[in-house]
Amino acid sequence: MITYHKKTLSNGLTVIANHDTTSRMAAVNILYKVGARNENPNRTGLAHLFEHLMFRGTHQIPDFDTPIQMACGENNAFTNNDYTDFYITLPLANIETALWLESDRMRGLNLSEEACKIEKRVVIEEFRQRYLNQPYGDANMLLRALAYKVHPYRWATIGISPEHIEQASIEEIRNFYDRFYQPSNAILSFSGDMEAEEFFTLAEKWFGSIPNTSHPAAEIPAEPAQCEARRQVVERDVPATTISIAFKMGNRLSADFFLGDITSDILAGGDSARLYEHLIKNKRLFASVNAYITGDVDCGLFVFTGQLLPTTTEEQAEQAFWDEIEELQHNFVSEYELEKVKNKFEANTLFGELNVMNKAMNLGYYEMIGDLPLINREVETYRSLSAADIASFAERIFRKENSSTLIYRAK
Amino acid sequence: MKQPPLTIPSTIDVRAAEKHCASNGTNIYVINCPEYEVVRLSFVFHAGTITQQHPFTASATANMLAEGSAALSSQQIAERLDYFGSYFDINIDRDYAYITFCSLSKFFEPTADVIEEVILHPTFPAEEVATYSAKRRQQLSIERRKVETIAREKFAHAIFGASHPYGISYSEDMYDSLSREHIVKHYQRCYTAQRCIVVCSGNINNKVLERITSIAEQLPTAEADTDLGIPSFDTTHTIRHQHDGAVQSSVRMGRLLFPRTHEDFIPMQVLSTLLGGYFGSRLMQNLRERNGYTYGAFCAMVNFQHTGYLALATQVGKEVTDDALQEIAYEIERLRTEPIPQEELDLVKNIMAGELMRILDGPFGIADVTTENILCGFDNSHIQTHLQRIRQTTPEQLQALAKKYLQPQDLVTVVVGDFK
Repeated sequence: MITYHKKTLSNGLTVIANHDTTSRMAAVNILYKVGARNENPNRTGLAHLFEHLMFRGTHQIPDFDTPIQMACGENNAFTNNDYTDFYITLPLANIETALWLESDRMRGLNLSEEACKIEKRVVIEEFRQRYLNQPYGDANMLLRALAYKVHPYRWATIGISPEHIEQASIEEIRNFYDRFYQPSNAILSFSGDMEAEEFFTLAEKWFGSIPNTSHPAAEIPAEPAQCEARRQVVERDVPATTISIAFKMGNRLSADFFLGDITSDILAGGDSARLYEHLIKNKRLFASVNAYITGDVDCGLFVFTGQLLPTTTEEQAEQAFWDEIEELQHNFVSEYELEKVKNKFEANTLFGELNVMNKAMNLGYYEMIGDLPLINREVETYRSLSAADIASFAERIFRKENSSTLIYRAK
Repeated sequence: MKQPPLTIPSTIDVRAAEKHCASNGTNIYVINCPEYEVVRLSFVFHAGTITQQHPFTASATANMLAEGSAALSSQQIAERLDYFGSYFDINIDRDYAYITFCSLSKFFEPTADVIEEVILHPTFPAEEVATYSAKRRQQLSIERRKVETIAREKFAHAIFGASHPYGISYSEDMYDSLSREHIVKHYQRCYTAQRCIVVCSGNINNKVLERITSIAEQLPTAEADTDLGIPSFDTTHTIRHQHDGAVQSSVRMGRLLFPRTHEDFIPMQVLSTLLGGYFGSRLMQNLRERNGYTYGAFCAMVNFQHTGYLALATQVGKEVTDDALQEIAYEIERLRTEPIPQEELDLVKNIMAGELMRILDGPFGIADVTTENILCGFDNSHIQTHLQRIRQTTPEQLQALAKKYLQPQDLVTVVVGDFK
């Protein structure tokens, strides 16, 4: 259970505070509601490039990192398809340093030609290191592009190609900042040993005077329903073939999210889960195997994936996944199995609430998806699901004509 | 608006670990944090890779403890831990094997029953050994397609010698010769009371401690090994390894130094942090921010039981490999020739103090630091000493250390990439 208070400043900035009495550290999280899904298909990778640029200094404070570090703090950021998140942990006594820096870079960034040029090179190296110079580095990109034809989830956060990043102009970058980095498009969240009212006063002090320019909500093209089984085979210089099958499912606030989550736990939540027991240990078909949901804000994917052992054929491996699916569709999971994944979900939720950073980050996230109280309702929602719910989810989602299969074949 | 004033912590108060001794001689360290309704329990055995007598035995033993016991099959073990939402984590380094269990306090009792089976009665079934070996063999062959994996292995060869227990690596084919007997033998030799410490944290009331003790005191006793030390090192200074098709080169540099107990270890930690231990470090400023050669560059002191070393790592665009090497050499040379500006040193000190505070925030982090201290022969008062030693370093002292320890002819350089 995470207690919190929420307030909206007059410029539209949402502020949420959790009072944690055990820690000597404080966490400040700022989430901007912009991700790769807001990008133009001809200029992908911009949201992530922009996350990098947020560290290149402002007109007031040319160096972002040093003052944080002088305050014994640590900070980082990440971008995904839905949002961009910046977080700082530091001793509570230095909390205002974090607010000073975050409020300053919300509108005061110094976007010089030189800074953009260097940061573009860094991001291109990241592209090469993590996606091109890595066995299986492009597998997820290929799967996305197969499963989505219209929705911007069809590209990964890093972008479609390094050229998109290379060619981004300074004007495009400045427009992106003005469009998305506004108080009304941001959520400030906090966890630490301080009363919420006191934090709200500090938030007002540092962020209250930032002017806001609102823009209409971004229009995201909807993905049309899929009506045919899709399939792609690529050959790469990797030691083992992998097979992934992705199914489209509902969005983050739909019942599908929890159904998908619990189903993926039945299949792959821990070493006693079905895929590991059946496909690795008993049938010895795979070296590794997984089932997961992408959990995106808009309609997401349910993915089966596995790396084949050298003795396994592609047909055997693919059939093995479909056998597991059929089992889910035709036989109810046992009460024991259901109770197990529910206990595990509850424990993991509690383990995740042990530190201030996770709490501040989660508060921002649930506000972003549009249902902050859900942060304390998830365990209960998850507990309410039945074996029949899972079977009908499996029936509805795991259909051939809703599937995208990627064979990543070892040469 | 104006920069807010800063408060820099000059002390860190950490709970001392309470030490208990089980009847068989196993030392149990307790860090009681009753405000958290969780229990974390670690068994640390002197059973790392240098203790093995056959390739891959040490990691296989640690990783397979939960793959079947006298009373429970591997599936039952996994099933019971999952059922209560408990989990375990296995870590192994060259010296030690760390087996850590976490559970909610309300499920500690049933979790402890499983822990007892895993730690005291593993059977290492031959079938499970076969599955494990096939899986690991494949994972390793994938890992070895990455330039950074090759560079890490070559760097260990270069620093310690390719056949030294700290430097050696084995072909993945050697998994085929790994048998149940090797593992059982290793378990019997290394998983004993004399080679074990137990560290627990979270809500450790008397009942929990009694249960932990009842497990620890069943560990078999063995005559303590006479510490034979380790063979001497055989350093190679330069390795260039061709890896076809790499778009980036992986670079490792460093040198053999000394373990954490050495008086220069902490100041060398300060120096390595300054060079490459944080986001704005000199290597990051130069290679990433100024030149865009890389996504990241790191430097740190690494501690082993019998020695320690300084290591620097980065992955750079293939076409700028030589430029990057030149810049790295330039940054190291600067440490030797120019005194560090006081402001930069203060920054590094605050970063290191902040890191220490962050690690020590919460019961699990305190347990990790306690474990590290015990293995080096310190108690938790060392944390305060550590902080003071960091704060006392001066530009003169660091420059003198750089002159002494970072002479170009002493450094080891390993580059893996496509040079064609």
